[in-house]
Formats: sequence, C-alpha cells, structure tokens
Amino acid sequence: MFRLLFRTVAVFAVLLLAIQFVHPSLPNPPVTADFQALPEVKQILKSSCYNCHSNETKLVWFDYPIPAYWIVRDHVLEARKHINFSEIGRLPAAQQKAALYEGIFQISRGAMPIPAYVAFHPDAKISEQDVTVLENYLVSISPAQKSTPDDAGAAQYEKWIATGNETSHPQAAPNGIAFPSDYKNWKPISSTERFDNNTIRQILGNDIAIKAIAENQINPWPDGATFAKIAWLEQTGPDAVIRPGEFFQVEFMIRDSQKYANTLGWGWARWRGADLKPYGKDANFVDECVGCHRPLDDTNYVFTEPVRGQQ
Amino acid sequence: MMCNSLIPASFAFALLASAAFSGCSSNNRVAPLAATINENASLSAAESSALPANPLKWRIITSSIDPQSSTMSTLYGNDIAIRYARSNTNHDYPPGSQIALVTWTRRDDPRYFGAKIPDHLKSIEFVSVDELPGETKFTYEKFEGSPLAKTASDESATPSQSAQALLNQRAAVLP
Repeated sequence: MFRLLFRTVAVFAVLLLAIQFVHPSLPNPPVTADFQALPEVKQILKSSCYNCHSNETKLVWFDYPIPAYWIVRDHVLEARKHINFSEIGRLPAAQQKAALYEGIFQISRGAMPIPAYVAFHPDAKISEQDVTVLENYLVSISPAQKSTPDDAGAAQYEKWIATGNETSHPQAAPNGIAFPSDYKNWKPISSTERFDNNTIRQILGNDIAIKAIAENQINPWPDGATFAKIAWLEQTGPDAVIRPGEFFQVEFMIRDSQKYANTLGWGWARWRGADLKPYGKDANFVDECVGCHRPLDDTNYVFTEPVRGQQ
Repeated sequence: MMCNSLIPASFAFALLASAAFSGCSSNNRVAPLAATINENASLSAAESSALPANPLKWRIITSSIDPQSSTMSTLYGNDIAIRYARSNTNHDYPPGSQIALVTWTRRDDPRYFGAKIPDHLKSIEFVSVDELPGETKFTYEKFEGSPLAKTASDESATPSQSAQALLNQRAAVLP
C-alpha cells in the first residue's frame, strides 16, 4: 500500500520535474506608445495593471515553476491582446478612453485585477481611494460637448424619412444571428446618457421582456427575452439640450439559456451605421461582449435596470 | 536532504498557484448589485389609469437630455403618431395622433461608471390632435409630482407653445 503511494508520488514528482523543461519564452517587447496621464493615475496602473497589461511584465520567483508559469504566461499574452498600456498611444483617442472606462468598470466589479492575482500580489490591490482618483481622471478627460453641428444627423434623417418605413434586412451577424428587423416597434424600458463616449441611448424590450418586467421575473430573464440598445451620437443644440444626432449602432441581447449556454446564456449581435453593417470580423467578436458583461453575474449580465409600466 | 523536501514543497506551491489562477474569478471584494426594477422611474397601474393614456405602452419617437435641469426625457407616440413621425419631415401630425413626453430626473448608473439613467419620474406632457367639424383641436396637458397630478392644460385650434415644442421634435433615426 505504502509502496504504491510512494510510487505514485515518485512518478508524479518525476513528471513535474520533466515538464519544468517545457518553458516557452515570455519576452517584453519594446515600449512604443506608453500610456500618458497624470503621475498619480499612471502610478496606480503601473502597480496594479502593468504586470500583465504592458510590455513591462516582471515575474516573481513563484511565477516560474511549471505549471504556474504556463498559466501566468497565458494570462499575460491574453491581457496584452486585450489592452496593452505600452502601446495604447497608437489607438485613436476615443478607443483609448473606451478601454479606460472598461477598465474602471472591471475594477469596480472586482473582476480586475483578477482576485487570484491579487491574492499572490497584494500590492496590486486597488483601494477605494485609487478608484476615486481614476474616476476623477476619467471625468476630467470626458467634458460635456458644446453646441455641435447637426449636418450629418440631419442628412441621415432626411434620407431615412425618404426611404420610408422600409424594413431593413442587413447581413446577419458573424455568429449567424439575423437582424431583428422589428426592434423599432418594441417598447422602451430605459434610456442612458453616456458621458464616456457622448452617445444617447434607448433600450427597448420585446414582448417577452416586457412581460418579464411586469411580473418582476428578471433574474434570470426568461428565454426569448430580447433587448435592443440603440445608440445615437449626441447632438447638442443651441439651447444646450442634447438630442439624438446620427444613428451610431443597435445591439441586441437574446436570452436562450440552452442555445447560448457558452456565452452567458445570451446571444449577442450588433449592427453599426445607418447602413447596418454587422459588427465583428468573425464569430469571435462575442468575446468582447461577454468580457464586458461577465462581471454582472448579479443581474444576469444585464446593464439595464428596467423601468416598469408598459403593460 | 533538504533538497528532497524543498522541491516537492515548491511544486506543491506552484500547483496551488496554478489552481488559484485557473480558479473562478468570483467578485467577492465588492458589494453585490441588486437585480431590481427601477421602481422610482416606473409608472404604476393606478397612476397611469388617471392619465389620458399610458405612454409607456407606446413606441419611441425620440429622446433628449437637459443637463441644465438634470433631466432626461423620452418622446412617445401612439400608432398614428409613430407612422407619421417616421415618414414625414413636417410636424403636422394627423388627427388621432397622441404624443407624450415623459421626463425623469437622472442619476449615476450604479452598474456602469460613465452612464446616467432615469431616477424619479418627474412629469408627463401630452399633446393630442383631434378633428372637430371645421377645425383641428390641439390639447396639451401636463402632469407632475408624485403621485402625478395635472398642473397645466390647454385646448385650442393652434398648438400652444408647449405643445408645439413637442410636436416639433424630429424623430430619431431607426434604420
């Protein structure tokens, strides 16, 4: 009995030793377009985010033994693909800002830095005070728009009216989801003002979603419940009132706990521009949707807190 | 001999680390979110029955945000009004049209830093267009407060200034 146990442990130890030699490299590419911000902001990102989200990765001794190293390496490469602060300066300003807002969202939900990472790197913990510093910084780089010209919005509107209420049949999303053409006849369930990207939004729900709201069956939402979130670029008039300007996009969440079990129980799709171009190079675009909605496990991955009274 | 005990110990640690890294990323450090209805912004059945109509049953014409009064509004229309607003650049709604502007105060979105959402339902304004023998009648009514009570009303052959402000709003593009 003891001999068997000893043998098992020995085999296991030898295997562990053997795999130590499978050690793919994890180079730090040059820092080409480093994140620029106030020193106190940058300091927080340096100590909490840069180890994975930059080309300045510093491993510590316990990151080296296999298999820990494999996992750490995988995480770093994945993190850099998502957002790399050493190269962020190459992105358009709006995209940089969007990445920072997503970051503060992930931080605020405790999803970032990854809790297991913080457990081993306590210095990476982001305090509430740090969050306030980051939020104040984001507000400072997101000023309200002054009065904006309406030419593009007006032109788009004229064209839309001229083509009447023709039903749109754009190409399906890369994951095969067809455009829910009837969305514009669904009922509003909320609206949002997005000061992070100067869009004004409406969230509409189909009949199943409206019934679920009336019956307060929204966690989880029933299969078939579908939301359309419509975003227009903000158009600020001379009266300082903000109205929808150009149509920017419409995106959908379609609840089906079985069919979409691999993507949080929701089907995801988005069409951009008045010509409704499907969003995403290939079906993997849903990783983006899922990555941002995943921290909302308390609310069945839904951002909208619905208004009731439609029935 | 020390090596013999140290190496497995460090492997065990590495395994532990791996397990932790690959384990769940539960959000245990932050307060949970409530999956609730936005009650303050909602319209109860009792309240809507005291109104000329329940605009939340209707479809959307457009929306607006007024940073000065810190409010956000949605303009709804009944079927006749929607059909007109989505296919005409003029603002001469046909008889039978009803539109309603629902206004909320606004608050920070607890689920996303970067967004503001409806807080309390503040007011509902209605404009109805009716055909009378020989003339068109425009009715404007405003309801405010909690519970909603009528605070203004106006009937005339030409729209009042408040009514016109609603009728003039351009429909938001919905391709």
